Amino acid sequence: MQASRARLFKEFKEVQREKVADPDIQLVCDDSNIFKWTALIKGPSETPFDGGIFQLAFSVPEQYPLQPPQVRFLTKIFHPNVHFKTGEICLDILKNAWSPAWTLQSVCRAIIALMAHPEPDSPLNCDSGNLLRAGDIRGYQSMARMYTRLAAMPKKG
Amino acid sequence: MAEGESLTESSSDPNPNPNPNPDPCSICLSSVTQDSYLDKCFHKFCYNCIIRWINVVASKQSSASSTVTCPMCKTENLSIIYGYDGTYFQRHYVGKSLENSEFFSEAHRYRLKCYYTEPGDLADKLQVPRYWKFRKYIQHNHFLGDWLRREFQALIQVEDVDIIMHHTLGVVDSLRRDWLKDPKISTEKVRQAFRASIYEAVRPFLTGRTERFVNELELFVGSGMNIEAFDKVYIKHLGWKFLEINENEHDDEPSNENHTSAVPYLYILDEESDEN
Repeated sequence: MQASRARLFKEFKEVQREKVADPDIQLVCDDSNIFKWTALIKGPSETPFDGGIFQLAFSVPEQYPLQPPQVRFLTKIFHPNVHFKTGEICLDILKNAWSPAWTLQSVCRAIIALMAHPEPDSPLNCDSGNLLRAGDIRGYQSMARMYTRLAAMPKKG
Repeated sequence: MAEGESLTESSSDPNPNPNPNPDPCSICLSSVTQDSYLDKCFHKFCYNCIIRWINVVASKQSSASSTVTCPMCKTENLSIIYGYDGTYFQRHYVGKSLENSEFFSEAHRYRLKCYYTEPGDLADKLQVPRYWKFRKYIQHNHFLGDWLRREFQALIQVEDVDIIMHHTLGVVDSLRRDWLKDPKISTEKVRQAFRASIYEAVRPFLTGRTERFVNELELFVGSGMNIEAFDKVYIKHLGWKFLEINENEHDDEPSNENHTSAVPYLYILDEESDEN
């Protein structure tokens, strides 16, 4: 418990210091609870998520960093490895490939990388996965782009 | 990204508390306490951090693993190297917890601790010079085998040390036979031959601890005592208390010297703070 607090505090300080270093990630800690974090990440360019801002919710366990944080998308996203309803993310480093050397910041980077490189063979969103597995890149991209516009971009007008 | 001069963190950062440790433990992100290295990739962690990580990984596996994957580079490692003081180091093998092993007793613990402590004038107290002077070395020492076994077990931290023990006993015996044949040989020569031969014999197994082991062996054979008596004198000399070993000790000798306990260089084998 103490160890996880101390470590999260270090990460908090690091985030304050490096705020300008990674313009694609904005990581903020809940005012009253250091185990709850929120991140805003930019959809990577040259993907259907380009131009979108996606919100992630982190729930950090007391055994952190020996146990991975739980992360889910709060912003709706059409991606084979993200559950469409719950926002749950299928990513090995958040499960059995977790290492305590990861930080919340680097987890965000891994999620951005996952957005750019979906893994259709382990889908949480079967519709999305099937489009990719069928080779229908255009179909996948237009669906994903539509949801990015609907959910991850500021409303125009 | 930023054009122009890229100011270093310390000069550009108005924050009065810039990052004080450039090389933190990647598990706690703080300065490393009790430097511990994985044996293959040599990535550094706090002793407690890497032990906790090993325990967490082990608790998820159905069968005990004898390797740990490095959190930094995913290399498989067999042990943690820690407690390096310039000469000696400790080794913790993954999946072999000393707490759980049957053979590693309180007495082993005490012997290992001795290797982190200066023995002081113990040789005189145990009357080692007399051993050489009065040629007591030509007698067979019945306690030596058991003493060697415990010593090797404590140092190498494995249970089966029979090969090294018999090897060492063999060296001692062959030296003794040589000396019996040659009664005129000088005491100093005997002592030198003894130390050199033992050193040679155990060096591959004890590496950095060899020199100290030879000293300890000389103390033990030189004392002519059995293990129990030897331990008693040793422990009393250092001013330590060990329940298991000390329980029958009475202060029958008038202790006129002012005893201060000898403090080991570092705390080895401290209790791992495990969170349940």
